[in-house]
Parts: sequence; C-alpha cells; structure tokens
Amino acid sequence: MNKDIQKNTKQIGAPQKENRMRRLVKKVHLDTKELVLLQLLIGVFLLMSILSPGRFLSVYNLQSMAYQFPEFGIFALAMMVIVVTGGINLSITYSATLSSILGAVVLVALNNLGVQPLVTVVIGVLVIIISSIACGAVNGLIVAHIGITPMLATLGTMTLFEGIALNITKGGAISGFPDMFQWFGNSAILGIPVPLLIFVLVIIATYFILQRSSFGAKVYMIGCNPTATRFSGVNVKKVLFLLYIYSGILTGFAGIIMASRYNSAKESYGYTYLLQSVAAAVLGGTDISGGFGKVFGTVVSVLILQVISSGLNIFGVNRFITDVIMGMILIVVLTINFVNNRMEEKALLSKKVVTA
Amino acid sequence: MNNIFSQIKRSKEMGILAILVVISIIISAFNSSFLTFGNLLDVVKSNIVLGIMSMGMLLVLLTGGIDVSIASVISAVTVIIGRFMVDYSSNIFLIFLVGVVAGSLMGLINGLLIAKLKIPPIVATLGTMSVIFGLVLYLTNGNWITGIPQNFIDFGRVTIGQFPVAGSDRIQGIPIQFLFLLFAIALTWFILKYTMIGRGIYAIGGNRDSAERIGMNSENITLFIYTYEGFLIGLAGVVHTSIMRQVDPNAFIGFEIQVIAAVVLGGASVLGGYGSVSGTIIGVSLFCIINNGLILMHIPTFWQKIVVGVVLITSISFDVIQKRMHDKKNIRVDIDESESSFKRLSVVQKSTSQA
Amino acid sequence: MAQNMFLRMHNVSKTFPGVKALKNIDLEVEYGEIHALIGENGAGKSTLIKILSGVYQPDEGAEIIIDGVVQKTITPLDSLKRGIAVIYQDFSLFPNLSVAENIAMVSRVEKRKKIVNWRETNQIARSALAKLGLKIPLSKTLSELSVAKQQLVAIARALVNDAKLIVMDEPTSALSRGEVESLFSIIRNLKEQGISILFISHKLDELFAISDRFSILRDGKYVGTFGEDELDDDRLISLMVGRKIEYKIFEKRTLVDPIFEVRNLSKAGNFKDISFTLHRGEILGITGLVGAGRSELAQAIFGLNPSDSGELILEGKRLQVNAPEQAVQHGISYIPENRLTEGLILKKTMSDNICLTVLKQISSRHGLIEKEAQNKLVEKWIEEMHIRPNIPNMIASKLSGGNQQRVVLSKWLATDPKVLIVDEPTNGIDIGAKADIHQLLRDLSEQGMSIIVISSELPEILAIGDRVLVMRRGKIAAILDGKNLTQEEIMKEAL
Repeated sequence: MNKDIQKNTKQIGAPQKENRMRRLVKKVHLDTKELVLLQLLIGVFLLMSILSPGRFLSVYNLQSMAYQFPEFGIFALAMMVIVVTGGINLSITYSATLSSILGAVVLVALNNLGVQPLVTVVIGVLVIIISSIACGAVNGLIVAHIGITPMLATLGTMTLFEGIALNITKGGAISGFPDMFQWFGNSAILGIPVPLLIFVLVIIATYFILQRSSFGAKVYMIGCNPTATRFSGVNVKKVLFLLYIYSGILTGFAGIIMASRYNSAKESYGYTYLLQSVAAAVLGGTDISGGFGKVFGTVVSVLILQVISSGLNIFGVNRFITDVIMGMILIVVLTINFVNNRMEEKALLSKKVVTA
Repeated sequence: MNNIFSQIKRSKEMGILAILVVISIIISAFNSSFLTFGNLLDVVKSNIVLGIMSMGMLLVLLTGGIDVSIASVISAVTVIIGRFMVDYSSNIFLIFLVGVVAGSLMGLINGLLIAKLKIPPIVATLGTMSVIFGLVLYLTNGNWITGIPQNFIDFGRVTIGQFPVAGSDRIQGIPIQFLFLLFAIALTWFILKYTMIGRGIYAIGGNRDSAERIGMNSENITLFIYTYEGFLIGLAGVVHTSIMRQVDPNAFIGFEIQVIAAVVLGGASVLGGYGSVSGTIIGVSLFCIINNGLILMHIPTFWQKIVVGVVLITSISFDVIQKRMHDKKNIRVDIDESESSFKRLSVVQKSTSQA
Repeated sequence: MAQNMFLRMHNVSKTFPGVKALKNIDLEVEYGEIHALIGENGAGKSTLIKILSGVYQPDEGAEIIIDGVVQKTITPLDSLKRGIAVIYQDFSLFPNLSVAENIAMVSRVEKRKKIVNWRETNQIARSALAKLGLKIPLSKTLSELSVAKQQLVAIARALVNDAKLIVMDEPTSALSRGEVESLFSIIRNLKEQGISILFISHKLDELFAISDRFSILRDGKYVGTFGEDELDDDRLISLMVGRKIEYKIFEKRTLVDPIFEVRNLSKAGNFKDISFTLHRGEILGITGLVGAGRSELAQAIFGLNPSDSGELILEGKRLQVNAPEQAVQHGISYIPENRLTEGLILKKTMSDNICLTVLKQISSRHGLIEKEAQNKLVEKWIEEMHIRPNIPNMIASKLSGGNQQRVVLSKWLATDPKVLIVDEPTNGIDIGAKADIHQLLRDLSEQGMSIIVISSELPEILAIGDRVLVMRRGKIAAILDGKNLTQEEIMKEAL
C-alpha cells in the first residue's frame, strides 16, 4: 500500500524537488486525501466482507448495491457542485421527486390513453428532465439573481417543491407506468445495471464540467471569492444560475432512476439522501465553505457510505440506526477536518512568520 | 429611550403589522368566524409550540446561525417525557424538569459542535437531526405513546378566566399553556434586552470580530444560544404533550421550516444582527393567521407547504432587495453641486491647451 | 522629563519563530502629546501596537512603564485598565447597535456586567460625547451615521475607559478633507485635556499638521524620535526608507490619436459630468483627495458600478457597459485598489489566478481547458513579469505584495486590453517594486496601450502621468499637462 502511495505521488509532480515545494505550497489534503479515501473504501469493504463473508460478498448483495448507490451518487454530485460554490442545495430530493411526479402524471395519462409505450416513456422522461431544469432554474434565480443565501433559498424551494408534489399526489404514490419505464432502474446492459451506467455518465459529465472546463474553473473561483471573480470580468450570476440548473438536471436523473426502481412516484422518496449527500461531499474533501472539492473524492465517499449502510443492513441493523450512523459520520468527518485545519494552520502560522 | 432597539426595526415591524391587519380583513371578509374570540383562541392554542420555539430560533438567527434539528429535538423531548410519565412518575414538576433538561442537553450538543468545533450550523444541525430522529424512531418504532397519566391530562386542561363565546352558550377560558408562551416571550425579551449575553448576541450578529476584540466570548454566547433554544424546545415539548395528551414521534417532521419561516417573516435578518422579540411575535402571528385562513377557506392542507415555501422565499427576497436598493442609494461621494466649478474647469482646460 | 512620560517602552523586541519582528525598540509618549509613529509597511508598527495593547507579549528584557507603573506583562485587559485605547482602522464598532450602546459596550464588558443598565449606558455615552463636544443622537443606529461620525463614536468609546493614550491606526484614510480638519480639532482638544495620542498615518502632510513628535521605525528597528522642527518631508522619507525616494520621472509625451472618450458620465452620489479623452499610448493620471470619486468613476467605466447617464466611446464605437464582462469584451481592464479581496483569489494558485480572465483563450472549442495552453500562458507571464518564486502552483496568498501585484497585472495584461485602468497600483508595495511597476506601465504605453493610473501619491502621478486629471468632490477640477507639473499645482486644484 505504501508503495502505491509513493508511485502515485510521483506521478503527480514529476521532479522530486518541485513535488516537495508543491506540497509545502498546495493544501496538503488534495492528493493525499483521495488516497486515504480509497484506503478507507477498501478498509470498510474488507471489514464488511470479513464480518459477513457469506452475505456481504454475495453476488446478490453486490448487485443490489450496484442498483442502489447510483441514485445516491447522483444526489451527492448534485449537492457537491453547489457546495463547491460555498452554498448548499437542500432541495435536491424534492426537486427529484417533484420532477418524477410530474413525469409520472404524464406517463400514467399516456399509458391509459394507449399511446405506444416507447413514445410514452420518451415523453415522460423528457417531462422529468424539463421539470428538473425548471426546479434548478428557480433555485438559480433566487440564489444568483435575487441574492438570497443558498441555505435559506433552497430551504424555501424544498418546502415549495414538496408542497406542489403533495398537491399532485394528495399524499399518495403515483403508479401505473408502462413496463418499459422499468428499464432505467432495473435492467442491465451486458451485465452492467442501467442505473450504474447513468451514474458513470453523470460522473464523467460532472468531472469534465467542473474540473476540466473553463466554466468549472469559474465555479471554483466563485467558491473562493465571488467578489474578486466578478472583478475579473466573470459573470458570476450566470455561472451560478447555470450551475443550479445543472444540479437540477442531476436530480432529474436521480428522479428517473428512483421512479423506475420503485415503479411509482412519491414526494418523500429519497428523503434520507439529503443528509447523506452532504456527508458524502464533505467526506470526499469538499470544503463546506467553498472553493475546493473533487468529483473523485465524492464518488469514493458515496461508495464508502453505501458499503457501510448495506453492511449494516445485512447485519440486521435497524434502518433508523443507519440514519444515526450517517449523521455521526458527518459530524465526525467535520470534526476531523476541524482538527486537521487547526494543525495545518498552526504549521502555516509558524511558516508564515519565517518568510515575513 | 428604553426602546433603543425597537426603534431600529420599528418601520419594518409596522409594515408586517400592516400586512397582518390587511390579511385579517381579507380572511374575515371570506369567513365571518375568523375574527371571533373562539377562533382566535384556537389559533393561539394550536400555535403555542410554534411561538415558544420561534423565540429560540430568533436568538439563533440573530447571530447568523440556523438550526434545522429543532423538530427532531422536540420529538425526542416528547418521547422522553412521554415514557417518563408513563413508566416512572406523573409529578408535573419532574416532568417539566426532565423535558427542559433533555432539551437543553440536546441544544448544548449543537452548541458544542458549532462553537467549539466550528462546524457550520446548517451542517451540524443537519447531522444532529439525523442522529436524534434516527434514535427516536428506532426506540419508538414510530409508535405512539398513550396512557398519559390523568393528573397530567388534568393539568393540561386547566384554564384561566371565563369568557363567553359569542353566538353560543359556551364559556371558554384561556388555556394554561398560554402562560408558558408568555413566559418564553418575557424571558427571551428580558435576556435580549437586559443581559450582557443578550446584548452580546446582537454585538456578535453585528460584528463578530469586534465583539471578540473587546473581550466578548463568542464561543460561550453561541453555547448559550443553542442551549437556551434547547431549553425552550424542552418546554414546548411538555406544553405540546399537555395539549395533545399523547406522543406521536412523527408529529414534527418538517416543523423546523415553519419555525424558521415565521421568524424570518417577523423581520429577523438571516445574515444576523437584526431582529426583535416584538417583530417575531408579529411574524409568528401573521404566519399562523395565514395558515388558519387557509383552513377556514377550505383550502386543502397540502397547500400549507406551498404557502410556507412562498412566504419564506418572498419575505427574504423582500429583505435582500430592500437592502440592495438602500445600498444603491448610499451616497459615496459628496458631489460639489455649485456652478463655479464648471467655470473653473473651463478656464483650466483653456490654460493647459495653450501651454 | 522622565516624569512627563505617560508611556515608556524600552528595549522592546519581538521574536516570532524564526524571525525577529522588532529589535530593541524605544518609544516614549508624553502626557498630552500627539505622537506620530511612522514607518513603511512591514516596519513593525502594528506589531508594536499589538504589544502595547496586550495582543502580543514582548521578548524578555523589555521594559514597559505605563503611567509610572512598571508592567511585567500586559494583557488586553491590563492595557485597557491602564488607559490605553486602540482605535483600529475598522473602528471595531457594531453597525446594528445604537450610538449609546456602542460607546458603553467596552466598559460594560470590562466591568464584567451581567445585567444591562440602560440609564447608565446613556449617561456614559452622553458624558463621553460631551468630552468631545459632540452632539450625536444617542439612540441612532450606528450604520445610519457617516464614516466620519462613526469614527467619532469610536473615539468617544475610547474616552469612556478614561483613556490616557489613544492609538489611532490610519484614522484619516476614509475621511474627506473637512472631516479630517474636524477630527484634528478634536484631537487637539483631547491633547488639551492631557490625553496623549499615538497617531499612525501614511499621509505626511497630515502628520506634520498635527504631530508634536515623530518616532520612526524601519525594518523592525528604531530609527529615532524627532521634534516637529527637526524634520521636513524629504528628511522624514529618507529616514523611513533609509534613502531618499526618487521616482524616475518619465519624459512627458504629447499624444494625438484619441482612442477612448468619456462623455458627460454621471452617477448620483458618485460623480457628475465627467468628460475626458484618452489617447493611444497615453498614461493619464487621475488623482484627487480620497472621497473625490476616483475609484467610483473607474468602476463605472468597468461596469462594476454602472453610471446613470453619459457615454463611453472606444475607437469611435459607443459602448454598452453594465457589467465587467462587457467591459472586458470591449478591451477595458480594471485593476482594483484592494488586491487581496478584489484583485486576487488568495486561496488559489498563481496559475488559476492568471488564467481567470482568459479562460476562453486557453480552452478548446468545447470549453475544456487545455493544460498545455494554460501552462504556456502562465509560464509566459511569470517570465515576462519576473514573478518570484516562479512556481505556477504557488498559492497566491504566499506571494509577496509586489509579486501579488504582478500576478494581478499579468491576469489583466493577458486579456490584451486597449484601455487599462489601474487603481493605486503601488499601494503597500516596497519601493523597488514600485519603480518596476512604473517602468512596466510606461513600457506598455510605449507599445500603444492606453492607461489610466489612479493614485493618491502625487510623486507617482507626476512621474508617470502624461496628463493629470484632478477630481474634486465628484467632478473634474482640472486636466493638467504633465510637463513640468508640480505637486503644488495639483493640490491647488484638488483642494
């Protein structure tokens, strides 16, 4: 394992000297933290396998995990892209369920009219995506253009989306989709579950948008210092607006998978993912105050949390206790971050004075 | 001169009060039973818990914090006192003691996470919410607690005074729970106005660095805020149980947003520093009357969520837009409006062009 | 003489791990004296003030006597109790609280009050304001007052604790001329009451107007204390920097090819009727007192603070500029005064910062950043601007002031602007780096770039401005030819 780390760090910075310099200069946690996360993932995976070899490592369990974590992972990325800007998006799960409910209404109506299933499903999916874009646009409008703090803006829209969803469903679930719709949540292509494929596409898209594109570069800069970014001629409002729309689209994908897996749509589906998404983003090294965070870290954290919750499930741990543990993980991770930052600051402080 | 702080917000409070009056008129135009003593008493009674909890949330918002764990805390409190009075003792005093101690302890945990570990309030309370709700639901399995002791039920039925209800022979008194609301309001008002901690809360909300520089302990003040909030939630939990006479662990899901919306509606700036007890009372009243109006006008209860969301977003938007307009008007340069400078300018330019 | 001293600091040193910030400093302040503490940025003034206010502890061997009492150690509370009050640049006041409460807050905390007595609060505030001869309504919220009034509240607050020495850190930086005058008369009034003032400022004319004695620090060392009659501008500056500042005066050019025109630009509460023409390859200096509307004008041209009326015409084309991104598109760049909060993104790398304005240039058609193009661009600018250390991944906050300014300049030069506006380009930069930046601006103008330099420092304006636009109270007071221009001529227009 140690050797692996060395190899990896060597790859990152070519000459040894520059590497050392870089480590002094750059926030230490970026590269090493990802490795720690990978180790952690392997660790919890091994732990669960050892504690419950027959069931955790069973094909059935691994497969069911592969169907479960994509929706969680997509939510986590929808959360993470906003946290990078120094905000938070509390409306992700209701944005997903509202969109899928709107889609469900269309799916059921067309299905009942006897429209060809393929056409029905295509239109239904389009409605979900368009709805999720609209949800994202509402958030973006309020945060970017009116200028309300994301926390309160999305707290408001979260309630709003839930209210609209409840008005449509009257508190129940909508079902009666064409069978074909189940493909998104329950089928596999070449043995790879469709939700997983969607997740992989989302990962790639988010990686390129956030970490490779000029748009993403602006996002990180806004997360660090929106004033200086605006002074640099970046249209901060536009970037934020588009990012909230992107976050919205992701919740739309999650909504499609959830509706398909449960074969119904209801406003409360996926509610627990809100907290877990924050936990995954933070665990993955996203700075809660903005400016730093990577797709890779978030995805690995999603896997870690999923392994933990699946494992607990197999041990017969009550699902409410799983919530407790997820909350604890969030708090513990932030506590560790706090302690780390303190130590880093201390180290920095003594260094700063030397150069002063 | 005693009203130094209320003067600051007076104009805003008057605005909200005006809205309150207008909405009341509209609702009573639709439904004549709205402005009756009986209905208003019902509105108050069913919102006592909201009122008590809004006082705690006011303190939290004043320092620029937020607490989304309050619904889980009050659920936990009701479950704890429910089990306590069913299994151990029906002594009213002990029940209150257990309630406020439990609430305060949970508040203290939030306070420690936020003040000592510097975890952003939204994330810290999201975490504690998950932990506390998880434990509550695990331990109760979501089941209601019934069989509340008779003396506690009797206590909850005590009323004060007797008032004839218009249009019927009924006579109604003011429920005892109302006293607890008054207590929470008076205590919060006193703390904010007459204690150094209260003034410190405003000071920190206004300028945290300065407050620390002159020797205020912002960590301790933050700890106090969340603990006091927990204390009020504990109180609210007991009051709630005395009204409902049973415990439903799921009763408060989503309640935190109502409390936040009501306090924000009352003019508390979510960026900290501004907000008052009187404003919060008006805000909570407005919020309750809107909800009551929806019921009286037979609008489906699902609309309530939409109203909460819209109220929250519009009231903050209003705040933010108003602030922006104010900033825009702000004079940055004291412009010389005299004509003479024009003349001088032309002379100088001539002289330079000749040179 | 010794009995007249309120404060005697002798042999004060302060060592931080690995560096000696102060070396054997002496400082003596008499009762009822206005004492100027001067030195360049980084000379150790703020460290010394922090020792005085109890924030830092000095190294062993220091002798500090306050009001005749030998202090072994000073905590912040000791410092307050012994009558030392520091008014920081941001005043440390509470915008949401009343004037009365702001004034009384420190004494409340100091007395460890638990319960607030509002009558006492008002009494304290009233008597403090009376000492200054001021009438500010006690119940007014602080944020409703002007900056100058807020400062007076801060001074009143200092008086509450029977301050015998008030330390003022750059007290005039945000005040208009008239406000400075009234501040000075209050300071003189305090002096008559036997209160000492330790005055920190960069504005020499103000220092000479008010101070009795000057103590000078340089590189953490004590240079000396001088009476007012022993010094003049030149001597003071040479003592401060160790050598006489002489900016290289560039030859003034008469330029004929107009490129950018500002016509009747107005914005309520900011500036009014601003018209001027900028020529190709020209450096136009804009100066005026703080609060004359210089930065507001610049930010209006750049779209950060859009004007109410008026026109901007670049190369004969009328521009629509309501946001910075539009200005950038048209080829207008603005380098803000506040490098640390507006110019740079401190937590990010030099490379990230330089590329922020030209992301399009280094991206493919699909909007993906091409690493190679980015590295090339960054290396080019590091090379061209001599940024040190030359590590693209260096976090911006770790760079020195001069190098940070070079990064900001690179970031904007990379956009290849036609019009470059620089606001206080050499503020807080050491003298050698200043000359480099002057030379750079001149070189750029030789290459045809039109540059507007906003500066409060007249020698700087005189050194590089081909013409000088003087602003006064939101309007143009004069546009002067840079040839043979003197500071006095500019000041005449600015006042």
